[in-house]
Amino acid sequence: MRRVSRITIAGVATAALAVTVSACGSSSTASTSGGASKGIGLAYDVGGKGDQSFNDAAYAGFQKAEKDFGVSGRDIEPQDNESDADKTQRLETLAKAGYNPVIGVGFAYAGALKEAAAKYPKVTFGIIDDDQTQAKNVADMVFHEEQSSYLAGVAAAKATKKNHIGFIGGVDVPLIHKFEAGYEQGAKSVNPNIKIESQYLTQTAQDGGFSSPDKGESAADGQIDAGADVLYAAAGLSGQGVIKAAAEHKVWAIGVDSDQYNQAPLAKYKDYILTSALKNVQGAVYDLAKSVIKDKKPLSGDIRGSLNNGGVGLADSNPKFKNDTAIQDAVKKAEAGIKDGSIKVKTS
Amino acid sequence: MELAGITKRFPGVVANHDIHLTVRKGTVHALVGENGAGKSTLMKILYGMQKPDEGTIAIDGEQVSFASPADAIARGIGMVHQHFMLADNLTVLENVVLGSEKLHGIGGAARRKIKEISDRYGLGVRPDALVEDLGVADRQRVEILKVLFRGARTLILDEPTAVLVPQEVDALFDNLRELKSEGLSVIFISHKLGEVLSVADDITVIRRGTTVGTAVPAETTPRQLAELMVGSELPTPETSESTVTDRPVLEVRNLTVHAAGVSLGAEDEPAGGGLTEFAGAGETKRVLDDVSFTIHAGEVMGIAGVEGNGQTELIDALIGTKHADSGAIRFLGEDITPWPTRRRRESGVGYIPEDRHRQGLLLESPLWENRILGHVTEKPNARGFWLNPKGAQADTRRIVEEYDVRTPGIDVTAASLSGGNQQKLIVGREMSHDPKFLIAAHPTRGVDVGAQAQIWDRIREARRAGLAVLLISADLDELIGLSDTLRVIYDGRLVADADPATITPEELGSAMTGAASGHLEHEETAPEGTDNAGPEDEAR
Amino acid sequence: MKKFDKERVLTALAGPVIALVLAIVLTSVVLLASGKNPIQPYALMLQQLPFSDIQVLIINQASLYYIAAIAVALGFRMNLFNIGVDGQYRLAVVMTAVVGAHLALPSVLQIPVLLITAMATGAFWAGIAGVLKVTRGVSEVVATIMLNSIATAVIGYLTLTDVFGVQVGDNVTTGTMKKSGWVPGIDLGSDVGEIYGLVFLAALLGIAYWVVLNRTRFGFDLRATGASETAAAASGVNAKRMVLVSMLISGAVSGLAGLPLLLGDTHTYSLSFPSGLGFTAIGIALLGRNNPGGIALAALLWAFLDKASPALDYATPVAYDKEIATIMQGLIVFAVVISYAAVQQWSLRRQQRRVGAELAAAVNTKKEVAA
Repeated sequence: MRRVSRITIAGVATAALAVTVSACGSSSTASTSGGASKGIGLAYDVGGKGDQSFNDAAYAGFQKAEKDFGVSGRDIEPQDNESDADKTQRLETLAKAGYNPVIGVGFAYAGALKEAAAKYPKVTFGIIDDDQTQAKNVADMVFHEEQSSYLAGVAAAKATKKNHIGFIGGVDVPLIHKFEAGYEQGAKSVNPNIKIESQYLTQTAQDGGFSSPDKGESAADGQIDAGADVLYAAAGLSGQGVIKAAAEHKVWAIGVDSDQYNQAPLAKYKDYILTSALKNVQGAVYDLAKSVIKDKKPLSGDIRGSLNNGGVGLADSNPKFKNDTAIQDAVKKAEAGIKDGSIKVKTS
Repeated sequence: MELAGITKRFPGVVANHDIHLTVRKGTVHALVGENGAGKSTLMKILYGMQKPDEGTIAIDGEQVSFASPADAIARGIGMVHQHFMLADNLTVLENVVLGSEKLHGIGGAARRKIKEISDRYGLGVRPDALVEDLGVADRQRVEILKVLFRGARTLILDEPTAVLVPQEVDALFDNLRELKSEGLSVIFISHKLGEVLSVADDITVIRRGTTVGTAVPAETTPRQLAELMVGSELPTPETSESTVTDRPVLEVRNLTVHAAGVSLGAEDEPAGGGLTEFAGAGETKRVLDDVSFTIHAGEVMGIAGVEGNGQTELIDALIGTKHADSGAIRFLGEDITPWPTRRRRESGVGYIPEDRHRQGLLLESPLWENRILGHVTEKPNARGFWLNPKGAQADTRRIVEEYDVRTPGIDVTAASLSGGNQQKLIVGREMSHDPKFLIAAHPTRGVDVGAQAQIWDRIREARRAGLAVLLISADLDELIGLSDTLRVIYDGRLVADADPATITPEELGSAMTGAASGHLEHEETAPEGTDNAGPEDEAR
Repeated sequence: MKKFDKERVLTALAGPVIALVLAIVLTSVVLLASGKNPIQPYALMLQQLPFSDIQVLIINQASLYYIAAIAVALGFRMNLFNIGVDGQYRLAVVMTAVVGAHLALPSVLQIPVLLITAMATGAFWAGIAGVLKVTRGVSEVVATIMLNSIATAVIGYLTLTDVFGVQVGDNVTTGTMKKSGWVPGIDLGSDVGEIYGLVFLAALLGIAYWVVLNRTRFGFDLRATGASETAAAASGVNAKRMVLVSMLISGAVSGLAGLPLLLGDTHTYSLSFPSGLGFTAIGIALLGRNNPGGIALAALLWAFLDKASPALDYATPVAYDKEIATIMQGLIVFAVVISYAAVQQWSLRRQQRRVGAELAAAVNTKKEVAA
């Protein structure tokens, strides 16, 4: 038994020693002088590459910039159970390696970005979906998702035959509340008595709300059973399940973030994708890269994607949607209203 | 069958060393020896579970080598284990053919074969009975049949009588005689020397891993045999003078305990008479039914009974791991019925549990931690809230010394000691706290003869000093030899009492099957209830 | 004495060492199968070790793992499988963050109040499973798994903006805690980072764990119950009370698991607060053999794999997947289970042989004396 205590002491002592010894050691991310940019550093949010939605949109912009500006880049996925310290380390490692700009995809990077930006003032940092970090070398790229969702709501309310539509959110967080709020307001602007089903797949992103098509599918089945015939999914990868269920029951689905009508994995169901509420993450990433690498005039401050600047919008790839004048008229009218400020869209 | 020079260097307390054993065809050959003497290793070698490092095994003059039990079975060797290996929810037929379906199929041919074997050896087995309905003796016969069905010509029986009452033992011995008259050989392993002498044709004694001698039953007494086993003079279990006082230590009044769950086979009440009668006993609703007795200072009260008739429940109720549904337990004048186990133990109830591995020891902990078990709140194990390892260790060394626990140190795990030494440690531990009342459940079960004598001595010594003891044992000689008073438990009730000075094991055995009740007198006629004293009858 | 000590150290080390070697070999096989260099990733990760910022990250992360693993180990020591550490610590963090944001006392009071809040919350949540087990016989495994989900929902409710939530951008937090509740760390410079002050709490918990288990009556009862429930019952341990008490303690300890991070760094609960510590901790407690020293080493190893593996992403010319570390962690748990069972068997046999040998020797010398 005495042996245990010895090991404990040894362990603690070793740990303490390691710290004291290394206190004068070096840091893996010690700032070095900035040189020419090696390209874009992209750090993903939970879910990572391959979600066919949010993260992939960022990756699309990253790829396009790589190609157009002839630079290489590095995109890094997050770990499970990581804390802010890990995110800081990730951003700093990218910055130190010479990537510029360094972009954090998702609001979870807010705290980390602030620290990293302070430490690497010569590097431009970008963050998507957060406007809390105010610094000279930080570009906050946020979007008025509620505006595109409003239009989606208008379209849904026009397209429904049963006067009954549905909303499926991936995770119960404020970001997704914006989608729901805009959608609901838009639909009610067409028909105040419309019935709207609303459901969030999970409480936390860790539980898979953005990454579980099966959850999306069963939620969609439920809403269709309840009578909804237009479903709007703001649920990342899970949205694919919603679209599949809608196609199987031959009702409309509305996609999100990317133009899902044109996505290869969803080609089978595209006839049932009415439209998609676009969020131009791709463009935002590309623009920031362009400003740093090509124009040498880094963007900074708030960059707000709205209907006015094309940062958000409604896709019209589906001919049935594009040629339906009733829907188009209503959508156009709403769009104009938002743009000129006569319609104020709520965010929650 | 002949074994010569068998040696096994083996991770165990005693390895086999130069063992010689010759089993003649058509005989019962008894193998006796202390626990841990190396019997089980030898058996495993015989049955192909282990390979000897040196030595040879010959069957019918032909040298053989077994790589697995399957080889041994193919050579006509069969083993009946101490713990039956039967599937309760299958029938006898299904159990017998299980694993050897190729021999006679699973249908009519197998049934005919079973019938034939059963009739030939007088086993009286019904192929379609469910095993769960059978009593212990019947199960044992099924095991024997299973082995014969596979074509065994040599049977190894490991402690076959441990679970049987005397009448059942006699029936088993009749079966064995049938077997040998048919030319089969039986290797019979046992502790009980009286039985060995009555059934065996030859006896081989093993001590410290080697064969120390053979004996011919007709010319040997149990004492001589025991001395051969232990290698020294034996003490007897008899108590000398009575030390019973009139000061009651433990008074139990109308104690009743109900079975915890719904009884499973309530319909299967024992069909009156026969050897399987106790089969359903544990399943009755009242596992302890209106039990009353008093034990005085300096008195050992023995409880005889076939296992599963309420002994476990009685112990549980006394130590407090199960609470009485009605009735009262008074200890030194205080009503302890609602007390938790720890308080009872602290106030002076010692406990030698019936299953030392499950209840008496922490097998993977060192000896000194086992010394703390059960007395963690008491000196020298604890100082207030804190444990006192030093004190416990020192006291463990004392116990090891005083009780002759054979161990190289007090830091080895309890599991690495032999059964007898484990038990000595437990006895030493319980006696170290000056108990006023000791529950001794099978205190010498699975313990070698030498340790047995030591344990008996300790109990007798404490009894002289005024200890009250409740002795529960399956060993009738031990019960009769050690007790001042005897009670018989059957079906949860104390059905009979007897005077240990005059009663014989056979008479006691008869009461254990429920055939006799009341006060048992040793008479020339068959024992029967002479007066109608019920269980309320006070122990004197 | 001496000899047996050596023996125990040997058997104590054999299990983890075999497990680690096995896990490394299997990971290399995976690397080979995917056509990668089977050795270089280890070298890359080890190269991270001398960097002091990585060391700080490792120690900080290890402190979280350590506390959670101690909570798991407490349960293990009495055969209780507290899978609910995850829910317990998350709920405790939220409650602590809320209290810390709304209560302003001087540090001397504020910090103890926060610690107690965390412990009480964790104990309460684990206690539900304990009560269910004691009164209704519900398996603690099932109960704690379900309570994890319920904790998620409760946290969702508590962080609603009209309850305790404060929205910052698109993130939901519980508001910044009052400064008096912040636990200062050891600042090693902006390049290196800060060691959480509560790392020392983790070390203290490890010591307390050892002392309670090995030097108190309660600890003995707990270990006895874990080693043999029947023997413990016969020795006078009240099994039900023991289950409840150890669930409460395990929960109280898990309640502390998130605090080094909360009080040392984030100062608020938010959507990006790490979850899943409780599950990782199960593997760590297994690897550490429920022994405080072993768990410390296991927690450090885990944290090392976590913090050194990102370097694989930046390797040149070929980048490796940092999931290699995850694969390795999984394989370690897998190998640990097998190797411990094997070593236990082996060590028991070995000990029996020694006992046999020593007794035989004793008998022989006696004989010689007699002759």
